Amino acid sequence: MEKIVGTLQKDNNPVEIKIELPTNAYFMSGIRDFTLSLIENMTDFSSQWAYRFQSVVDELANNAIEHGSKANDKILVTFYTVADKEIRITVEDHGNPQKPTTAAEIMKILETNKNKEKKEFSIRGRGLAFIVEKWTDELIVEDRPNGGLKFTVVKHLNDDSFKTLEQSDDPKNIVI
Amino acid sequence: MAEIKYSISDLIDDPSKKIKVVTLDGQLDESNVDNFAPKIYEMISSMDKGTSVIFDLQNLSYLNSKSIGYIADFYNQVTAKGGKIVITKAASNIKDILNVVGIDQMIPLTQTMQEAKLMA
Repeated sequence: MEKIVGTLQKDNNPVEIKIELPTNAYFMSGIRDFTLSLIENMTDFSSQWAYRFQSVVDELANNAIEHGSKANDKILVTFYTVADKEIRITVEDHGNPQKPTTAAEIMKILETNKNKEKKEFSIRGRGLAFIVEKWTDELIVEDRPNGGLKFTVVKHLNDDSFKTLEQSDDPKNIVI
Repeated sequence: MAEIKYSISDLIDDPSKKIKVVTLDGQLDESNVDNFAPKIYEMISSMDKGTSVIFDLQNLSYLNSKSIGYIADFYNQVTAKGGKIVITKAASNIKDILNVVGIDQMIPLTQTMQEAKLMA
């Protein structure tokens, strides 16, 4: 029996994909699988960076669900890739009227957590401060006009960190 | 939904040490970690003083920051009882995330179970 598998012709034209997700952690494994596949197949980033962005998306989406959403709401995840240039991901929530959070408050928490000793953390707090912040080149948090937050993260393929990959132990730069 | 399978066993080949081995298979994420963690807290609370714990992560394909937070808390509880925690056989993507949050500064990571037994 002959097997035929669909293929995707990768080029350097921008690709934008929007996914709306119910605010339920049940769906997170699916968005992680999609992130891994998208980055491995449609960009020039290494597999290690595909795994790293899998974690970045998971952390941002969990944050949006836990802190930025009310029950039975939805979040919007947008992937924007240019194969030989960058990956840009936004995660938007609608906010939780019971505990509204502003972008300024998030940035303040982020700065506090970045400067904490490792042993000072509770169960929470490592996701944005370490995984998202250290594995992206840009992290922008904005208040949405009608409530909620928009997180934007960008990783450039041709930034300086990739030029010194083999000389550094910095976890941002290691290639497997 | 992500699935996590786990088993807990006593390592009995070295009578001079009390060691529990927790073997994980699957993915630890937001959907299941709050159900998994109480099993480990229960194990720790019932352990004798001085018992160490080895986490065998050979078949773990994902863990999120909250799961790492729980591991750090297991570390606090086990060391408070005079034991140690060692993580062994983690895949490269798992080691990568443990490194970026700095857990490797608290808990040793080893490539083999033999090394883990020596560290525990």
